[in-house]
Amino acid sequence: MTTTSAPTIRRSVALVWRSLRSMRTALILLLILAAAAVIGSLLPQLPNSPERVARYLDDHALWGSFFSNAGFFDVYGSWWFVLITTLLFVSLAACLFPRTRALLRTIRQRPVQARELDGFPHHLELHVAAAPERAIADVERLLRRRRFRVAREGTAVAGEKGSLREVGSLLFHWAFFLLLVGVILGKGTGFTGRAVVTEGDTFVDARLNYAGQLRTGRYFPGGFTGVGMELLDFDDSYRRNGQPIDFVSRVRFLDQGGRPVGTEEIRVNHPASIEGLRIFQEGFGWAPVVEATLSGERLWTSPIQMTRDVPPPGVPDTAMPWRGAIKLTTPEPDVMVTLELWPDFRAFANLQLTGTPTPMLVSFDPLIRYSVFTGTIEDTSLANTETSGMRLVTRGDLRAAGRSSADVPGVGELDLSFPALRQYSVLLVSRDVGIPVVLVAAILVLVGLLPALYVSRRKVWVRAEPDDGGARLEIGGFALQRKDAFGDEFDRLVRDLGGQDAVVAEPPERVTAR
Amino acid sequence: MNEPWARISSTAFDVTIWLYLAAMVLSFAYLAVRREVLWKSARAVAIAGAGANLLSIVARGIAADRVPWGNMFEYSTVLAFLVVVGTLVLIEGVAGIKTLTGFTVMFAVLTLAVASMAFPTEPSPLQPALNSYWIKIHVVAAIVGSSLFAIGGITTILFLVKDRSERRALAVLREREPAPIMGGAVEIDAPHDLLPDPEEPADATPKAARGGVLPSAAALDRVAYRVIAFAFPIWTFAVIAGAIWAQEAWGRYWGWDPKETWSFVTWTIFAGYLHARSTAGWKGRRAAVIAVIGFVSLLITYYAVNLWIVGLHSYKLG
Repeated sequence: MTTTSAPTIRRSVALVWRSLRSMRTALILLLILAAAAVIGSLLPQLPNSPERVARYLDDHALWGSFFSNAGFFDVYGSWWFVLITTLLFVSLAACLFPRTRALLRTIRQRPVQARELDGFPHHLELHVAAAPERAIADVERLLRRRRFRVAREGTAVAGEKGSLREVGSLLFHWAFFLLLVGVILGKGTGFTGRAVVTEGDTFVDARLNYAGQLRTGRYFPGGFTGVGMELLDFDDSYRRNGQPIDFVSRVRFLDQGGRPVGTEEIRVNHPASIEGLRIFQEGFGWAPVVEATLSGERLWTSPIQMTRDVPPPGVPDTAMPWRGAIKLTTPEPDVMVTLELWPDFRAFANLQLTGTPTPMLVSFDPLIRYSVFTGTIEDTSLANTETSGMRLVTRGDLRAAGRSSADVPGVGELDLSFPALRQYSVLLVSRDVGIPVVLVAAILVLVGLLPALYVSRRKVWVRAEPDDGGARLEIGGFALQRKDAFGDEFDRLVRDLGGQDAVVAEPPERVTAR
Repeated sequence: MNEPWARISSTAFDVTIWLYLAAMVLSFAYLAVRREVLWKSARAVAIAGAGANLLSIVARGIAADRVPWGNMFEYSTVLAFLVVVGTLVLIEGVAGIKTLTGFTVMFAVLTLAVASMAFPTEPSPLQPALNSYWIKIHVVAAIVGSSLFAIGGITTILFLVKDRSERRALAVLREREPAPIMGGAVEIDAPHDLLPDPEEPADATPKAARGGVLPSAAALDRVAYRVIAFAFPIWTFAVIAGAIWAQEAWGRYWGWDPKETWSFVTWTIFAGYLHARSTAGWKGRRAAVIAVIGFVSLLITYYAVNLWIVGLHSYKLG
């Protein structure tokens, strides 16, 4: 038997589409997505903690390279995570289209009359005094008042209620597409950057100023506002036990011409907004102002933004000294001064005397211990304090407002002074225009979820026939969900249909719920 | 910090554990001998325990002068309280089932015991990241959702146990009394998960197969479903509120922080459970297994993320 390839392809496409349309596929994809997310929570992730990934790679060379190739260190940005998400949404859409069409059809259509009423789980007959025509009109009115959708044919009425369940369910599911749109829009066109700014300095929102601390979306249009943020002061406060109370940056915003446009206190949980940017308090550190003079020539006079080492287990990070460096590349050979700052001298003294690390919560008689190296500086970035390949010349101490000098052989007399100790603040600057969309989507998810879970669909049929001067009403009904609750509703309906003068024609043959 | 209130809180905490233990023992005794007086005293002791639990929570809040759910210890105290109250109101009250209380109270006792061993903390002020009115919204929703998921998860585990014993009993019945070739066997051969609806009553399982001390498997299944369906929107809200808070505090609404990831995983699994309930072939045991996995995921979200996985939510010590 020969088969041409076209029908085979069409058949396999149809097969794929059919399996995507099944809820089971969507369900399995959802659970796979959850499993993938778990991997991301068990392994360190590059976007969140690159230093822990690096440590992991050092500690587990074999597994590390395997995980690295598989994208396990950036699960949420990996091609397969995107693929699973895409398949999930395609499958979801494939499930939702037919359901939406069916719902629209159901809503437009009138409820259908039933042929046999005695086959329904809830069924009974009763006698009323009114004539059939009149009785069925009363039934119709009652059902409408109970917000049933009603169709009448002669002396028969069909009623339906609870299509809100499907409406809610579809709203809930479609809202995830809106969520996706909001996420892609916001992350795609937005950016997140870190503004590291020392007290007294001004940070201007421009690409170069984020110096490697910038993440832009794939469709980022490229414009920055040029807004300035002048850090007036930074304040960190602690309780006596070392627990932080608050971190506050007082920032004066400057417009593109450098004119002040307002002052804001940015603290944890209290971001500031300006020109579509949101600015969050993220971190802080010490920035001692150090001046370096070599043989009478001033080569360096700036605050140095210092960082803290990761503390060993059991030591609070506030007990760790801060590190930074000055790199002088004009002399021959190059001179590098590494600095170790102890903002609170008492902690340093205590460590020397008793060996106990002490948290440094305020600055008190700060101490800088420095080491001078000569050699060749490969990387001029101040963040890199690596001194391998350089020669240690001398060490010394520098106290606040003090100075210290050291003889650097072959280069000259190095004078260091420490006129002031400032703090720097790390502000997270971000733009995300998708946030309102995401928020609306999240609200729609919730709004849809409630009826989808709690509204039940139920159907009722009533037929009236002439009987003994009045009418015999035959009533049948069932619920697709919450069946035991429907029993009571059905009983109440029957009671109201019958009015005072109703006589139950036959003993009710309801299947009781329990 | 207010010394006397802190002492009242910690005394009430100890009293709570003892009362819950007593309520648990009485409940299990009721399971064993079915004397109404045992159930009544179990209920009374459980209510007293919940009262002591509440006192411990309120006193803690006064001692620390803030909401009493700012760290894992306090969170656990509130969780235990809500699990017990949830059982008394939903399981005993609404569903009218008296035999599950021992199991959920046991969970509450374990929660409190783990809290006092793994994260004992003195009342202290909140750290800056937690100092927001969202702590009232997000954390309350998360604890309420967790407590309901816990009740649903425990009920589901009991469902699986009961379902297994019912199936065994059915098998025995069938052996003893060979089914007629047609028709008659249908009833016995149809455990609840082959019936058209998950909420269908248990009448399909013959009385002889039901027996035992627990409610019928179908009743357990129905209650578990109701509780989880109640919990799910609350959990959804908790995740959304958490995202809004994260946007305010950390500058992004979602960053795949371990707590975020695991709350998403838990959400996903319970969403899977709710869908499985209405998918042919997944009802009953398979759906129940998903719910139990969801319960485990909840416990990981709750404990592991704070204890072992480094992230922004590591509020172990306040």
